[in-house]
Amino acid sequence: MKSAAILAAALAVALVLGALPLLTTSNYIIGIGVSALIFTVAAAALNLIYGYTGLLSFAQLGFWGIGGYTSALTVVTFGGSFWWGLVWAALINAVIALAVGYPTLRTNRHAFVIVTLTFALLVTLIARDWVGLTRGPLGIPNLPPPRAFGYSFDTTAKFYWIAWAFAVAMLAFLHALCSSRIGRTLIAIKQNEPLVRAQGISPMPYKLASFALSAAITGAAGGVYSFHLRIIDPLFLDFYYMQTFLIIVIIGGAGSFWGVVVSGAALSALPEALRFSADFRMIIYGVILVVAMFVMPSGVAGWLRERKVARLRQSLREALR
Amino acid sequence: MSAILKVSNLRKSYAGVHALDGVSFAVEAGSVTGLIGPNGSGKSTAIDCVSGFQKLDDGQVVLDDTDITGRPAHHIARAGLMRTFQTVRIYERLALRDNLAIAAQQFDPATWVDEFLRTRRYRDAVEAAEARARSLVELIGLQRYYEAETGILSYGQKKLVALAAALMPHPKIVLLDEPVAGVNPSRIREIEVALSELNRAGETFLIVEHNVEFITNLCHRVIVLDQGKKLAEGTAAEIHTDPRVLEAYLGMTPEMAEAEMRGAA
Amino acid sequence: MTIDAVYLLQLTLNGLTLGLIYALIAVGLSLIFGVMEIINFAHGELLMLGAFAMAFALPVMGLLYWPALATAILATMLIGWVIYELLLVRLRTDEFERSILVTLGLSIIIIHVMQYIFTATPRLVDTQYGFAGVEIGSIRITWTRVIGAVASLAAFGGLYAVLRHTQFGRAMRAIAQNREAALMVGIRPKVVARNAVVLAAGLCGLAGAAIAPIQLVTPYMGQFLIFKAFALVIIGGLGNIPGAIVAAIGLGLIESWIGGFFEIAWQEASVFVIMIVVLFLRPDGLFKRGGMRVG
Repeated sequence: MKSAAILAAALAVALVLGALPLLTTSNYIIGIGVSALIFTVAAAALNLIYGYTGLLSFAQLGFWGIGGYTSALTVVTFGGSFWWGLVWAALINAVIALAVGYPTLRTNRHAFVIVTLTFALLVTLIARDWVGLTRGPLGIPNLPPPRAFGYSFDTTAKFYWIAWAFAVAMLAFLHALCSSRIGRTLIAIKQNEPLVRAQGISPMPYKLASFALSAAITGAAGGVYSFHLRIIDPLFLDFYYMQTFLIIVIIGGAGSFWGVVVSGAALSALPEALRFSADFRMIIYGVILVVAMFVMPSGVAGWLRERKVARLRQSLREALR
Repeated sequence: MSAILKVSNLRKSYAGVHALDGVSFAVEAGSVTGLIGPNGSGKSTAIDCVSGFQKLDDGQVVLDDTDITGRPAHHIARAGLMRTFQTVRIYERLALRDNLAIAAQQFDPATWVDEFLRTRRYRDAVEAAEARARSLVELIGLQRYYEAETGILSYGQKKLVALAAALMPHPKIVLLDEPVAGVNPSRIREIEVALSELNRAGETFLIVEHNVEFITNLCHRVIVLDQGKKLAEGTAAEIHTDPRVLEAYLGMTPEMAEAEMRGAA
Repeated sequence: MTIDAVYLLQLTLNGLTLGLIYALIAVGLSLIFGVMEIINFAHGELLMLGAFAMAFALPVMGLLYWPALATAILATMLIGWVIYELLLVRLRTDEFERSILVTLGLSIIIIHVMQYIFTATPRLVDTQYGFAGVEIGSIRITWTRVIGAVASLAAFGGLYAVLRHTQFGRAMRAIAQNREAALMVGIRPKVVARNAVVLAAGLCGLAGAAIAPIQLVTPYMGQFLIFKAFALVIIGGLGNIPGAIVAAIGLGLIESWIGGFFEIAWQEASVFVIMIVVLFLRPDGLFKRGGMRVG
């Protein structure tokens, strides 16, 4: 069965990736690995709400930031552990997503996009201005390394394993979800919502669940990343992150699970390669976005799929002659 | 035979126009009933209101002794009333098998927990749905396309897919909104035959259509609407010669229609 | 806390000016949405370009306000025209997400190109009026603000006239109200869309040029304002121009009042809170989707 083969391949790749710190001593490369893993998870979460459910959500940036701050504050202000920080990051974002999603999803797609964008910008402002909570522009530096059973994950290599385990767990969960009936229903909702209703399914709970789950996962990813950076400040909410997630999804192919995962791994090295000028990097992102929308709107995975369908059409036509 | 669907005194207006102005009729279980009328008579509005896609201003809809008036569309579907759409609706980027599987999904007892644990309940439900899907696909003659993306099918074939999907959950009645509009004449016969076979197997249909020949061949009873009101009701033959119907549709008296038909013969 | 009447009046006047600026941006967005059914994410950048145009035109024109304003507006309209012909014309009305992403990409490109060329250093823009102003009692308003407000009002008056009384305007309303019918009557959607974009760009250019002497000009200035314009368009009802204006002025006033008494963060949050509340109570916006009713 094809999907069993894909899963086996994925497992093999995952194991190889897990061994990265054993293959190199360069902290720089391992750091890129950490970014790649975490950005891929965030992109996969965006894929859930945008690629599968068809809702373009800019709120992901807000959830990412809230997740980062929640974990940091859990540890620094409330004395909790890093692990609890992640749990809170996920839970709080899920609740916020439900609260924001409920009124917004009842309206139309246009309103949803705008509300999510406004939400993200609002979170940025709060991070900067609610100094009592977030410590304002200075942020919260010197985040301590995660600890478990007396063991301290205090090097980049050790932290890599946390990121790796996190990514494997999240992606496994998302894969199970996307290949289940729930995932199939989300796809159906994206393609033809009135038909879904005519088939006895209420779209709202699915949309809400999808939004809340993608918020929780993105929040947790933000939580992990903030501890990788060892500092959280309003720059964590730079639109640059949203663009990165968005470009990963678009190039990989919105709605394709493996397309986005592969794209995430490939493109995460890109920001590093384009590190020479922040402006230039953004200009390239903008150009990629515009060009992709005209040339390959369904990404690489979508383009491959379309070719497969065209070939199918052709062969069926020939069989009929 | 009892009425599986009974609608009484349906009223719906928008922008001052009475789309439905006190329409009442009943559909008997196991029958094929036609709902015809000139443009603007309220046929599509009736379908939309009965199936929950539009809100009624007044009136009652009873499905098999259950009052479904005013319920949301997905509740009505779950109660056993399925419908198709005038402009065909299917999941174009999904395979035929997936289209049919989704149509059955809400009606089996398996939950996501069952699916995750691959319980007996889940596996039985999937098997049953698959069996039903295959028999329906055979009936509509699209076996070769079972694994193919439905987007590649022709318009008429897509309409057949929509019909099969509506039948997947063993509904009590299926409302068809112009099932052959925009379909190639050669296909129309196919759809007619499929519906006929399905009816023989016990399915109940309420069909809104413009195609008079299609309605005449298939329907046991025909209801005629005009300007939001029920104009006439009877067998296809009775409707053909009803002076009120002729007046509304063609602006003719029976004598003129007779002359027309003789002239055409 | 006794509220100083003078202070309140000052806040109100500031709020009105702010509201008028918001209205200029929101109306342009509404116009483009009504005609093309897309949300232009690069809208804020049109405002920024208008501000930069004003910043460069003023010294060339000897700090004379009106010629510089006219130049800035024309320059922005030209840019709008180019953007339409190169990119927007290729977007179809049913491709909502694609158009967002395209205009988002465009916005990113414009901001960072400007930043690359001109750096992020804020610029102070000087006009012939300097900081002179008019005094009413103990309230002081600079001429630049007054003129900004007057020019905005004039623009709305002109827009009303255009939409109501010209062929060009009626065509826009027709397409916004009922696209199919308009097409059947022979209205050419591409021409109307282009006109709408150029007009909206002009409004943004005016807003940017009017703000330039009042605030600092930076490549990011459009970004701060635009997300409020988005919210306003939702609150007022998508495609509803009078709705957008009312919402904009309302927001300007509310923000000014809140900002005068509470912390800045609450001022910024107010637009979001209002938007969510409105969506909760009236999912289609405060006014119905107008199809560009002009009254």
